[in-house]
Amino acid sequence: MTKQTNTKTPGIGRRAFLRGATATGIAAATMPLGSRIWAQSGKVLRVSSYADIDALDPGFYQNGYNVDVMNCIYSKLVRYVPGREWDWELEAAEEIEQVDDTHIRFKLKPGIMFTGGYGEMTAEDVKFSFERVLEHDSPVKSDWGPLDHVEVTGTYEGTIVLKEPFQPLWSITLPYGTGHIVSKKAVMEATESGGNFGMEPPAFSGPYILKEWKPNQYVHLVRNPEWTGEAPGFDEIRILPMDDTKTAERAYEAGDLDYTEITLSSLAQYRGNVPADTVIEEYPSLYYVWLGMNLDNPALGDENLRKAIQYAINAEQIIDAAYFGEAAPATGLIAPGLPGHRETPSVPVAGDLDKAREYLEAAGGPPSEPLTIDALNATVWKTMAEVIQAQLAQIGIQTQINVQDSGSFWTLGMESEGERWKDMQLVLNRFSMLPDPYYATSWFVTDQVGVWNWERFSSEEFDTLHQQALSETDGETRAEMYRKMQELMEASGAYKFITHEGTPVMYREGLEPALRPDGRPLFIDFKGDV
Amino acid sequence: MIFYATQRFVLSVVIVMVAVSILTLMLHVVPGDPAVMILGPRATPELIEQTRVAMGLDQPLPVQIVTFFGNILRGDLGQDVFTGRAVSQIVFEQLPYTLILITVSILWAAVLGIALGCYSALRRNTWLDTLTGVISVGTISIPSFVMALYSVLLFAVWLRWLPAIGAGEGVWDGVTHLILPSFAIGVSWVGYVARIVRASMLEVMGQPHVRMARAYGLPDGWITRSHILKIAVQPAVTLIGTGVAHLFSAAVFVEVIFARPGIGALIVQAVNERNYPIVLGAVLVTTGIIVLATLISDLVIAWLDPRQREEL
Repeated sequence: MTKQTNTKTPGIGRRAFLRGATATGIAAATMPLGSRIWAQSGKVLRVSSYADIDALDPGFYQNGYNVDVMNCIYSKLVRYVPGREWDWELEAAEEIEQVDDTHIRFKLKPGIMFTGGYGEMTAEDVKFSFERVLEHDSPVKSDWGPLDHVEVTGTYEGTIVLKEPFQPLWSITLPYGTGHIVSKKAVMEATESGGNFGMEPPAFSGPYILKEWKPNQYVHLVRNPEWTGEAPGFDEIRILPMDDTKTAERAYEAGDLDYTEITLSSLAQYRGNVPADTVIEEYPSLYYVWLGMNLDNPALGDENLRKAIQYAINAEQIIDAAYFGEAAPATGLIAPGLPGHRETPSVPVAGDLDKAREYLEAAGGPPSEPLTIDALNATVWKTMAEVIQAQLAQIGIQTQINVQDSGSFWTLGMESEGERWKDMQLVLNRFSMLPDPYYATSWFVTDQVGVWNWERFSSEEFDTLHQQALSETDGETRAEMYRKMQELMEASGAYKFITHEGTPVMYREGLEPALRPDGRPLFIDFKGDV
Repeated sequence: MIFYATQRFVLSVVIVMVAVSILTLMLHVVPGDPAVMILGPRATPELIEQTRVAMGLDQPLPVQIVTFFGNILRGDLGQDVFTGRAVSQIVFEQLPYTLILITVSILWAAVLGIALGCYSALRRNTWLDTLTGVISVGTISIPSFVMALYSVLLFAVWLRWLPAIGAGEGVWDGVTHLILPSFAIGVSWVGYVARIVRASMLEVMGQPHVRMARAYGLPDGWITRSHILKIAVQPAVTLIGTGVAHLFSAAVFVEVIFARPGIGALIVQAVNERNYPIVLGAVLVTTGIIVLATLISDLVIAWLDPRQREEL
């Protein structure tokens, strides 16, 4: 059993990436395509997913569970390397180089074929795949930030041209969802305009193809017979959607799965009683959980009151109660291992009751009416809210907990949803994250007030830093910018960071799972015997 | 009889329309913007507004309801907002799994429940009657989701006799995947049916026509089958007919616990995602089935009981 390791790296800068990419590229280039043998045959991998797929067009994707499948059926220029530290390697690209701040030159590996007779992957396909995200106003066009165009300079060669530098390109654009390359010819035939092809991919270019999707039952991937690259570890992959992770745990114990994520609440139990032939591993997650305070609500208008709340909350106690002590406390938005992660927050993780009382006294005492805490209607959130309620009661602040279903909760602070945001006071929130700090801070800029910035935090300095950090090429300077931004958030009194949670997984002995540093699976690289 | 059936059919259509209209109203009262759910957090406000318009959500509520029913008349239940697939295709893909599940659940429960009820009534006040009563009340008091959880832990996780999740492929695999979920749903119905059949049989056994049959020296088995059970089973048929709604509710939990496809799990997921077309389409179909089941149970009772048939 492997214990959780919180890797501490400054993140992967452009130079580090290029060093790694060059080395990997040389290795890949010396291995002729088509000459590699299939690793194993007749093997089926059965895994769970927390939701069923609902978008297979990488230009218009939503949610990680769709990308888990896309990783297997399409190719990208670069991809994440499985392991404990964030890193990238070449996939469809034979070479890739950032020639200056706004130009990235690439050369595709020859011989990558699209299925269905759509021929070889060329730079024209790369251009089409990336530019259509902007042309068709995709909801995820922000992944491509300031993309201007892709210049095709040869059959396999091209240059990605940006309007301005955009650092997240290397960490969340090229190796993730919108970085996947589709066949121009196939998509144009399927859609006429090159728009969203939804759930019907017209051609595949990865080591697997989608053989069958039975909604709410399984996604069945089989080896792509036209794939000429390195052989995948399994002949077939069956991905079974299960909204409830506890169901997946039972399915694993019954022998119906080879790999699954498990809940933090089950982790301690499994540690004490490991299922037969099973390995349990823990990975730190990138999610961030915090208690937010609506700065525009009159009851929370006094900064001293907000600080009293910040200091009264003990994140360790919350983690003990809601996560059975199995998650690490958060020091900010940005998880360990990413640029901008802070070692310590300004407000201590365990809080400080004496200081909380001082702030409360400065605020003139507790509010006359109980404050509300909004939370999702799942056990973990209710537990967290109850602990916070008890902690605030210690300094005399009374609260009332409102739990809501996900549909109601996720529009709580949105101005487009009417006046509800005005009544919102304290809110327990959790956002997902991609491995670049920009993805976290982008929700808290002034433009996001009333959209996803429910605390209605607005800071000119924060906005400026957010914009500057996008194009900052020096890794340490950029990291410092993000640390400063988190300090500004905390100083506003509107945030108490709680945890990044964790991603425990279990799998059969003999299986060699390939996981990102945040525990997300890269099924394409799973190997071994099950 | 034809007039009665026509009358009930028209009433059923009205019930379905009222139910769907109320649901539409409720969907719009509760907070949650489907356009935001579809497009995700990074969509621009302009794109969100365009999507709302495309979905017809900018229209007044009565217009949306009329449009929905107008589309139904053309056989169009709309499109899933996430995948773009036809709602009718999604609903009718999932529906057979739930129908098979609840049919098998209620069938085995009815057969066993009627047999137990009969046996108890014929041997009333014996220790076997008491035992059957205890078992019946015991099974009624166990919620189906608790039964589902413990049955999966026992038969799938511990003994590994049966699969824990999914619906299986092929007939035999499908049957093995059906055993635990149908057991979980049906077990409480055994108790219900047994108690009702027992009480009803005891009542019928004391009626003059049964005493008359005994006086004529007709065989006990023949009296039980032709003169007692045929009448005594009617309350159980009514219970099962009206209990279809309850079965759909139980199926929701069981489909989640066993990760089975089905309309219950589909509706729950769609409500959470504010996927209005799926919610409306699925509820329309399930309401129709529930109303139809009630109608069928009334017709079956009329068929079983000549007195009621004559009143129609």
